[in-house]
Amino acid sequence: MATVSLELTEIQATLLRSRPAPYYGTHVMLRIDDARGGRELLHRLVPHVDSAADWWLHDNAWTAVTLSYAGLVALGTPEATLRSFPTAFREGMAARAEHLFDFGPNEPKNWEAPFGSGQIHVALSVFSGDQTKWRLASETAWTQFRELQGVTLLMSQDFGAQPGDLNSFGYKDGIGQPAIEGSGVEPLPGQGRPIKAGEFILGYPGESGVPLVMPQPDILGRNGTYVALRKYQSRVGAFNRFLRENGNTPEERELLAAKLVGRWRSGAPLTLAPERDDPALAADPRRNNDFDYAKDPHGYQVPFGAHMRRMNPRDTELAQLTDVNLHRIVRRGTTYGAPYDPDAVSEGDDEIPRGVYFIAMSAKAMDTMEFLQKEWINKGDFMNLRERDPQIGLQDKDSVFTIPQHPVRRRIHGIETFNVLRGGEYLFMPSLSALRWLANLGS
Amino acid sequence: MQTQQETQSKPTVLPQKEVDTMMQDLRELYKDAPDYIKRALEELRGGISEIPDTLMETAGRIGARQGVVSELTVIAPFAKGGAERLRKLLALTHGNFSATEKVGSVHDMRFVFLENDTKMLFATAYDGDWDDYLDDFVSKIPNELDVIFWNFEGWPGIHSPSIKDYIAQFQVAAEAWYVSNPRLSVPQAKRLEKIDKALNEFLDKIS
Amino acid sequence: MQLQPETQSKPAALPQKEVDALMQHLRDAFKDSPDYAKRALEELRDEISTLSDARMESAGRIGNRQGEVSELTIIAPLVKGGAERLRKLLKVLHGNFQAADKVGSVHDMRFVFIDNDTRLLFATAYDGDWDVYINDFATKIPNQLDVLFSVVEGWPGIHSPQVKDFIVKYQIAADAWYVSNPHMTVAQARRLEKIDTALAQFLDKIS
Repeated sequence: MATVSLELTEIQATLLRSRPAPYYGTHVMLRIDDARGGRELLHRLVPHVDSAADWWLHDNAWTAVTLSYAGLVALGTPEATLRSFPTAFREGMAARAEHLFDFGPNEPKNWEAPFGSGQIHVALSVFSGDQTKWRLASETAWTQFRELQGVTLLMSQDFGAQPGDLNSFGYKDGIGQPAIEGSGVEPLPGQGRPIKAGEFILGYPGESGVPLVMPQPDILGRNGTYVALRKYQSRVGAFNRFLRENGNTPEERELLAAKLVGRWRSGAPLTLAPERDDPALAADPRRNNDFDYAKDPHGYQVPFGAHMRRMNPRDTELAQLTDVNLHRIVRRGTTYGAPYDPDAVSEGDDEIPRGVYFIAMSAKAMDTMEFLQKEWINKGDFMNLRERDPQIGLQDKDSVFTIPQHPVRRRIHGIETFNVLRGGEYLFMPSLSALRWLANLGS
Repeated sequence: MQTQQETQSKPTVLPQKEVDTMMQDLRELYKDAPDYIKRALEELRGGISEIPDTLMETAGRIGARQGVVSELTVIAPFAKGGAERLRKLLALTHGNFSATEKVGSVHDMRFVFLENDTKMLFATAYDGDWDDYLDDFVSKIPNELDVIFWNFEGWPGIHSPSIKDYIAQFQVAAEAWYVSNPRLSVPQAKRLEKIDKALNEFLDKIS
Repeated sequence: MQLQPETQSKPAALPQKEVDALMQHLRDAFKDSPDYAKRALEELRDEISTLSDARMESAGRIGNRQGEVSELTIIAPLVKGGAERLRKLLKVLHGNFQAADKVGSVHDMRFVFIDNDTRLLFATAYDGDWDVYINDFATKIPNQLDVLFSVVEGWPGIHSPQVKDFIVKYQIAADAWYVSNPHMTVAQARRLEKIDTALAQFLDKIS
């Protein structure tokens, strides 16, 4: 096992435990109505929050607890402490719409309640690879707040257990993750060199050699991290129509679906399987991420605008000087709602509730999300393109997607927005000691 | 059509002895600097030993040039009430620089009010030579220039023979001037954008 | 192969009533100007009535942008002997700004000493928003940045969390900013130059 230099018993499990396959779970959002109730909630939850100490136990259920800035305020957190949090976190995701390029259909005024209302104070998630363990852990969590005065349940969403573990568009997702130095987690081939822990966990040196700014006091900030949560509605009808309009045979459509992302829907990377899907490759975590773009300088295998290449350019030569290791996130997204339907083509199908709770974690999650949204998702200059991310970009009336190929590149016009933002929030994921500190406020 | 030179030409590498001398000169220069700066300086050796193919030259009477692109930097005092008038003018015309478009040789241009509106910084990047540039402006957009520059102390009027002396008096030459595409003039850039658009439309049709 | 010429779209125009109102405001502002300036103003009516399609926007925390191209203008105090040191450093580098090439998004950049070598004017045109990539520069070209800006009084070092605030302290937003090709990034320009060369060779072959 790789060296451990992090306080694993303090860090919440979600940061290091990878999403199991299959995965089950629940997201719960709560509002704190009075500080006493909020503190009692944390007091009751802490014994059930798992640490990253046994990060390899994916099948065990684990519970994660996060708080928004509004939640910290409702808890009665001291003013000086509140002021020590970064501006973006304090403003909350809805107020950062301009920085996140959340315009038009993604504007906060269009969000689903309770998102955007400032009422989401505590977000609690239960994850498991085992259905029974999930239900038990979920029931345990519910027991803590069911009868509790001073907190209100805003919403609860079960997720996962999709057939074949595919997302709402029929893709296997969540494969590429950064390796975190000192976590003790053995890096998988293709993850790249382990990145300094401080980029993902507060209190440790980051890539520049110094720790990132941390909220105060030390016990509150250390070993914590930030979470960017974004709930998307997947417009499956529009996506299927797009494949059918721009691919004449099932093979062409699958290849087109692959070109949008950089992986076949099975998860096999185009770089290693450029012409035909390879399900065995897709299923092997020691092979399915083991590639770089050294042999693809023209984007003939993976288009420069493909979602995966944008989100992690690896060794792609970018238009401007970039340190890709500064823009990585740990992803724990969860699919929710109806499963993928290959025959869905109507506008009504676009509205059937299904999509993803996109969850990104890093010691500077707000900065990274805002950077990605503005620079790498809704702009293409870094790849010398004038187009947006085909999977999560906010498309215009005549948006295009370019597929480099011989002899002439293919430019598809009229690509629509496939994932629409229904809400989101910035959250703080405290260490276990920090949760106890918060639970003990006022005493 | 003029044939283009290869844009990515290899820079010349200086002989080691020369680089050694340069590094020694620099160490001497930075002998009182903090340690982290001294260390940083040592790291620059690789970059220092390469000479780019387009070097900084003069733009004519005053100012620097790299390739075809020159810089002009002027800091001039406002006349009484001039700052206020110019602000109004800029606000009312909503940053409309169609006049500059007409001249066709200006890459970029900025107006910055300094020191409590007592001075103005005017900084521009333009094609070619200083004298020609000013002649061009005077002949193409005399009215715009008069309306703007009358707000400055001592402006002699655009048709005065001392106009170039006036500019030179307030111009400061750059010590260093860098341009990313030194051979790309404004008309050339516009031409390339047209070609790109047409080419894309053509390729869309045949693919 | 016959490439279609680009259709020249006519720029939008303000309604006459608005132009009349604008002209009246301007006449008021210029009521004390000499006759030649007043006459020049009247000549500008047509121009004032056209709207440019690229509006000046914010380049992030501070500074302005037109299309993709932003301006950053800094006037900062130099340490004692700093001007001399920087002047020598720039000379030794022969105007070699490899770091700027590496950054890849700098259109142009100038270093000017003002106020008797006590202050540095640094003015650049670059792509995008300025603070977005500063952390990347800090890990990729820290030495170049530190050695260059160590001559500025109070420079905290590129790795300091205060570095962005430091820059903002000395940055002055331009009141007007014009760019001839607002949608042409440095990378785009380089790509188009390559395409132009390839196109010329292709046309040579088939003619």
